Amino acid sequence: MIQSIAQKEFVSTLRDRRFVVLSVLVLGLLLAATLVGRASYRTLQRERTVAQQTVNDQFHHQPNRHPHRVAHYGSFAFRPKSGLSFLDAGLDSFTGASVFLEAHQQNSVNFSQAQQSGSLIRFGELTVAFVLQLLVPLLIIFLCFSAFTEERETGTLKLLLSQGVSLRQVAWGKIVGYGRAVALVVGPALALAAWLLFGEEEFGNNPDLWVRLALFGASYVVYFFLFIVGSVVVSAWQQHARTALVTLLGCWMLGCIILPKATANLGANLFPTITKAQMDAAVHEEAQKGINGHDPQDKRTALLKENLLKKYGVTSEKELPVSVGGLVMAESEAYTSQVYQQHFADLTRTYERQNALSTWAGLLNPYQAIRPLSIGLAGSDFAHYVHFQQAAEDYRYQLVQRLNALQASMGYGDKERKLDAATWRAIPTFAYHAPPLSWALGYLLVPALALLLWAVGLSWLGLKVIDKTPIA
Amino acid sequence: MTYILEAKDLRKQYPDKLALQGLNLQIEAGEVFCLLGQNGAGKSTTINLFLGFVQPTAGAAYINGLEVASNALRIKQYLAYIPENVMLYPHLTGLENLALFSSLAGFKYKESELLAYLAQAGLPVEAVQRRVGTYSKGMRQKVGIAIAVAKHAKVLLLDEPTSGLDPKASNEFSELLRQLSQQGTAVFMATHDIFRAKEVGTRVGIMREGELVDVRPTALLNANELEQLYLHYMH
Repeated sequence: MIQSIAQKEFVSTLRDRRFVVLSVLVLGLLLAATLVGRASYRTLQRERTVAQQTVNDQFHHQPNRHPHRVAHYGSFAFRPKSGLSFLDAGLDSFTGASVFLEAHQQNSVNFSQAQQSGSLIRFGELTVAFVLQLLVPLLIIFLCFSAFTEERETGTLKLLLSQGVSLRQVAWGKIVGYGRAVALVVGPALALAAWLLFGEEEFGNNPDLWVRLALFGASYVVYFFLFIVGSVVVSAWQQHARTALVTLLGCWMLGCIILPKATANLGANLFPTITKAQMDAAVHEEAQKGINGHDPQDKRTALLKENLLKKYGVTSEKELPVSVGGLVMAESEAYTSQVYQQHFADLTRTYERQNALSTWAGLLNPYQAIRPLSIGLAGSDFAHYVHFQQAAEDYRYQLVQRLNALQASMGYGDKERKLDAATWRAIPTFAYHAPPLSWALGYLLVPALALLLWAVGLSWLGLKVIDKTPIA
Repeated sequence: MTYILEAKDLRKQYPDKLALQGLNLQIEAGEVFCLLGQNGAGKSTTINLFLGFVQPTAGAAYINGLEVASNALRIKQYLAYIPENVMLYPHLTGLENLALFSSLAGFKYKESELLAYLAQAGLPVEAVQRRVGTYSKGMRQKVGIAIAVAKHAKVLLLDEPTSGLDPKASNEFSELLRQLSQQGTAVFMATHDIFRAKEVGTRVGIMREGELVDVRPTALLNANELEQLYLHYMH
């Protein structure tokens, strides 16, 4: 019975010109977003790969230099785009793409697309996720708002039920039928995305991406299911199609526009963040308490030197087998880095609290459950961004300390000497490895559970409402 | 004795109106019972109570010995229903509508069988493959009749079924009811059409303000007498 009703809904929907026009529009947008997103991904990825190779080559081809000069020459870390970010750009457009790695300084990740583009990007990009999260639900609402009201108003519901069908079977039949119609709109775009993605060698044999894409698709199946069930239930609950439509559009506006903004504002007010200038000032102030590698008059430097002389049983710096300057630099770097890491951790925690508020709001609003899930699976969320930042900082620290160690090994009078150019070619360059899905899953547990809870809760509640639907 | 259709002190009170007051009625297999009454007399409420679409305030309705309220789904296998204005799915053809409703009732007919039911109901051959959205009211009514006939139900619940049918189609419908009745199908028909009630009914009942005020065998009355009786109760 459910299959018969589902087939009827599917066929009727396909023959409805209004649906055809809307679906072609949404499908067109989805396909365009997929193709444009993929093209943009490839351009950015190519640019970043070339840039990373260029700075790596430049680093390796430095002439004979003093190691500390190399530490200040520094390098750049470019953040590679994640394979699925063309489906959901998430925070990528607003977070930076590259960071300058140098001694004594933890620079922020700069050159985001938003910084370099016009103001239009701030109104949101046309991404697959945008269409899936906001426009497809609208299509579902227009498709389903009269699911029951029309049957009741025209009298077909009585004829249907007189054949021995229960209201629940009618409802499930409609849900399955509408689901097929939505799949017909969304399916081709996801298939195109998979084809574009896995047609490329670098992703073809990447099971992590396959699983991410499968979960991405599955998450949206649940999300659309919620909208279909919700629309059918509201249609059963309301007496007239017009009131059902107004109710559903009100829910869409509340869930997709008002609540996300409200929770973001609430998060920012409850957990205020400091500005970059404030953080830099705080780090600088605290770093003053440590050794200043560039100040030979620094008292702590003098103490370190004294300890070294004791350690090596010598009376003057000249007799030391190591360069005091290099060791001072290493000590200074360790301290500054520790100070920075503490401040960075505090700032990250604040951002995470803000994000957590939005994530937990997913229990109240499915849109706020699908968003973190979508950007998390696409690898364009805050957690993935912080992972890159940490990887870049870890590399910077290792690089600078390695150069400090080289300087220390040069012994007394190192400042007058240089190391051979081949030294720099032996230093590994920055190579970022994005975290696997298993790492990301921890961050996605709450939104995934919220979405599933919504599906179970709405189905259960919906069936109760449908049971009480007046027929005559 | 188990009646195919029975009402025992059946009563329906809406918040603003007493729609049915203590209806007692028994209908046997093969009987055609025609219920006459003005608009709002309670005819449709009675049918809705037999269909299980509204719950009785008191009393009970039975189909084939089963209480409707507690067997709302089970009793549907014994009955077929034709409303006053058959509304079908406009994006499906007449044939597809019949196939859908028949499959929901548990019948998987071949196309030739479906075409035969539609022809029996009087739907023109050229219309069967057309979408119902293009049908006239009479054509939809004929598909509704085909749906009811194809269900092979023990009871037909008809709410003004000939509404919208031309005289020829109405006559054919009356003939169809007679055939079904002879095959043992019980028919409960709410109608305004006194002439049709006399023509096909075995008994007629007159309902006024939710009360069944008179029941007569049609064999004992001619059409004129039935009309006079009806008018008597309506004044």
